[in-house]
Amino acid sequence: MAATIALRPCGDFKTSYGSDQTVFPTRLSLAFCVAGVLALCLAPMFLGKYGLSLLVQMGYLGIAALGLNILVGFTGQISIGHAVFFGFGAFSSAFISNKLNVPVFFAIPLAGLATTAVGLLFGVPAARLKGLYLAIATLAAQFILQDFFARAGWFTGGVAGSPAKSFSVFGHEISGDQHYFYVVLAYVVVMYLAATNLMRTRDGRALVAIRDHYLSAEMMGINLTKYRTLSFGIAAFYAGIGGALYAHYLGFVSIEGFDILFSIQFLAMVIIGGLGSIMGSLMGTAFMVMLPEAMSGLAKMLSGSAIDRLLSLKEGIVFLREMTIGAVIVLFLIFEPDGLAHRWRRIRAYWKLYPFSH
Amino acid sequence: MTVDATLLLQLVVNGLIVGALYGVVAMCFVLIYKASQVVNFAQGEFMLIGAWACWWLLVKFQLPFFASFLITLAFMMAFGLILQVIVLKPLIGEPIISVIMVTIGLSIFFQALMKWMFGVSAQPFPPIFATPDVNLLGLQVKTVYVMSTMISIGIMGGFAWFFKYSRMGLAMRATAFDQQVAQSLGISVRQVFALAWGISAMVSALAGVVVGVVNGVSPALSFFGIKVFPAVILGGLDSIVGAVVGGVVIGLLENLAHYADSQWLRWGNLYEIAPFYALILILMIRPNGLFGTKDIERV
Amino acid sequence: MNLTRPIAGALLSGALASMTPLTATAQAIPIGHLADFSGATADVGGPYGQGVADAIAHINRQGGIGGRKLDADTVDYSYQVPRAIAAYKNWSGKVVAIQGWGTADTEALVGFITKDKIPYYSASYAATLTDPAGGSKADKPTPYNFFYGPSYSDAARAMVQWAAQDWKKKGGQGKPRYVHMGANHPYPNSPKAAAEDYARQLGFEVLPAIQFALTPGDYTAQCLTLKQSGANYAYLGNTAGSNISVLKSCQTAGVQVQFLGNVWGMDENAMKAAGSAANNVVFPVRTAAIWTDKAPGLTLMKEISKMSDPSGNAYRASHYLAGVCATLYMKEAMEWAAANGGISGENIRKGMYVRTNWVPKGAEGVCKPSTWTPTDHRGMLQVDLYRAEVKDAGDGQIADLIARGAIQMKRIATIDLPRNKEWLGW
Repeated sequence: MAATIALRPCGDFKTSYGSDQTVFPTRLSLAFCVAGVLALCLAPMFLGKYGLSLLVQMGYLGIAALGLNILVGFTGQISIGHAVFFGFGAFSSAFISNKLNVPVFFAIPLAGLATTAVGLLFGVPAARLKGLYLAIATLAAQFILQDFFARAGWFTGGVAGSPAKSFSVFGHEISGDQHYFYVVLAYVVVMYLAATNLMRTRDGRALVAIRDHYLSAEMMGINLTKYRTLSFGIAAFYAGIGGALYAHYLGFVSIEGFDILFSIQFLAMVIIGGLGSIMGSLMGTAFMVMLPEAMSGLAKMLSGSAIDRLLSLKEGIVFLREMTIGAVIVLFLIFEPDGLAHRWRRIRAYWKLYPFSH
Repeated sequence: MTVDATLLLQLVVNGLIVGALYGVVAMCFVLIYKASQVVNFAQGEFMLIGAWACWWLLVKFQLPFFASFLITLAFMMAFGLILQVIVLKPLIGEPIISVIMVTIGLSIFFQALMKWMFGVSAQPFPPIFATPDVNLLGLQVKTVYVMSTMISIGIMGGFAWFFKYSRMGLAMRATAFDQQVAQSLGISVRQVFALAWGISAMVSALAGVVVGVVNGVSPALSFFGIKVFPAVILGGLDSIVGAVVGGVVIGLLENLAHYADSQWLRWGNLYEIAPFYALILILMIRPNGLFGTKDIERV
Repeated sequence: MNLTRPIAGALLSGALASMTPLTATAQAIPIGHLADFSGATADVGGPYGQGVADAIAHINRQGGIGGRKLDADTVDYSYQVPRAIAAYKNWSGKVVAIQGWGTADTEALVGFITKDKIPYYSASYAATLTDPAGGSKADKPTPYNFFYGPSYSDAARAMVQWAAQDWKKKGGQGKPRYVHMGANHPYPNSPKAAAEDYARQLGFEVLPAIQFALTPGDYTAQCLTLKQSGANYAYLGNTAGSNISVLKSCQTAGVQVQFLGNVWGMDENAMKAAGSAANNVVFPVRTAAIWTDKAPGLTLMKEISKMSDPSGNAYRASHYLAGVCATLYMKEAMEWAAANGGISGENIRKGMYVRTNWVPKGAEGVCKPSTWTPTDHRGMLQVDLYRAEVKDAGDGQIADLIARGAIQMKRIATIDLPRNKEWLGW
């Protein structure tokens, strides 16, 4: 697990605490990040609605996945109930903007805070439980909250679901993929920077200490209960923001979608991306969003072709798609258990030392 | 507050019987966890594969039930062994979350494979027993449940004997306790892991066949596996006895909660949700389950 | 389930569609088709989606609409909302109509299709989709949502009405008891309030609802409660998989109750899987005939079926016929639009309003007369009720079982519901 922290190469010579705590280690990496964000800003001109919708999905799912990564990757806890926090954020944002008539601009952060409250509530048992027991307690939370959604018609709209207003700033409505994309992009940038910042503060280091060796952390004076609960709260906040963005994108929230399979997908995003890596969350999300689409495209290409006739796949193609998704997850974890972020670091390291890499 | 005694008694009997089934599946789950430290999210799919295999043998080859059943058990044993060797072995030593994810990936894979091979509709089992139900304390119980309860008790007894008195059983317990020491004493950890998975797959198949006989085999059968989690947590993750007790308790709890719900509370959903509330409560009071070993932390 | 050429054909057309740019050229009419062939609702989504795909292929075989072929992009979204959204984004701005499927995708896309003005033909019959203005009961306006068949609420009301008549016919004494059974989930809950309210109106004693999950399992506890409550009529709101479990558990527990099913909860396959436990269940059927009946429209249906089953031997479930009907209505609306301003989403919608008691050409005796108006999207208020008769729990192909008489569906009543304004939207 320790290998997931980026090890500093030897010869890394810093002369002040400030330079040791920078978010971007080199000017080049900062330049790349800025260039990347600018390139994304220009994306709506080149990508059609389909591509933009995929990016928007990656955006709000990526924010929630980052929350889960803070909980699982940085604090070492396990949560199989992330989808219901996501759903809670979606419903509360819809509720706040509809029933309490708060503008959507403010409803989204408020929904995040509401979800944080719920997350803190479920974080309390986390103080006493470890490992698998915690995982299964979060599974219980998943089912209990799902039941709550189904029951609480005043909050979720019950059978009919809950419509969500579209985003608007000072009366100027921002809807449609091209404009909403910028809203999501802004949130992604802010949340990711916030997470990176969190990790270089005292609290972030406390979380990592708890993950690595909680007994030592406790002896050093870190309050385990406080930080474990805090970790759940932060994860819930991110999930809530992601959910709220989802709600205002679709314009409608239904209780159908927040089931255990969705929680498992979040876990997959985080694990495949790389536990304990901020960039990894985004990479893992991109992977999980693109995988079904790529498989569908592949299935479409294959059907009717020579391979199809040869192996007489025919109707099996749709199932083959699902099987491939499962198989890809399994193979990925067998061959690269530390995730995409680790693989990316290895590739970077290779090119950094080329031709002297060993 | 009137108590309808006959209904209550019937529900208790039903709870015990269904609870025995949960206990069987929970036992398999704990077996894998105890022996190889892997949390198997694909337990439901083991049940599903076993059910489909038995159905296929019965329907396509027209074999008598006992023959198909025994062949299914043998097949699942081999299946569990092979799965462990191919997929789980490379993951020894990896963080628990990665292993959980692999089992989740496996469950996705097998679900799709079963849908491809056997279709998406529910298929009924051909009638197996001459008398479909028997009368037990005023409750009509399906014969297959009686059979499964008897087999479950037999299996629990077998497991108890196995772990206490046989060499392999002792070897498994030793491996679960401390892998390195077990290895240094000459126990083949590879064999232990493989055997654990094989036995677990085999016993899950039994539960799968039972559920299949009652409800028909369909892709949704694997959701039965979700009920396992409250049962194993209740009983403690590393205790086989605890798993059985947990299963029975969950079965009873469901039925009693349903009774309370239908008579007095009228909330509606207690049957499904009560086990999870109970789970959280138990974990608050006893974080390691009723029978789990307490983690003593040495500094 | 024999899906040999069907999905290959659908995916092939999809592959071709994805290779050609999906712009509304002078030649092809692009439409979207969301289906569930492999997900949680695949057991009923398969036949329905097959019906839609075959109907589209048949329409093209007959020359299309005004000489223009339908260019359908069939996407199997496995009942996962994100994939449905991605598929829609791919289509947005290009397709003029969408054949959808279940609650998940319909609800997720309702905002989008209303904004983009694309008619959406769903297989979700939720009553909240029937009020185009989105009045007091339904929160959202749904002017572009259509479905062929009675809404879940209206079907339930029809069965309640039948139950009242049945109680009188049986000579029942006192108030009959009605209970709603289903999961706490949008799909089973959709008709709950409407049916319970109407039952009270007709003099039923409405018992507290009994819940059971959407997954198969052991429901002895619920059956015992049902038995003890003395209910006379129980509405099963879930999908086929769990309804089968309940029927079997209740049969073992010795429950004597008249079960009322729902459109997706009881069909030929469920009858086979549940065996004798499904005997006597009363349920609504959307089409005026089933595959083994004699009706003029079945000739067309058999022709359409040959698009994916050249041998003509496959038995087509009631869901298949419903899918074909939904597509035929879309086709005739498009034909009207082509003659009245061009094929666009808005014109297709207008085309849905021009006829009353509308039966598509060639489908007489199969697709029931339906009427849609700009203020009322309840197309069908006449509900056919059938009774399932299952003699032995045999195994074998559905076609054989029906031929042998082991499984039968007999029509027992046709209920005409009044077009009440108070019932619109819930």
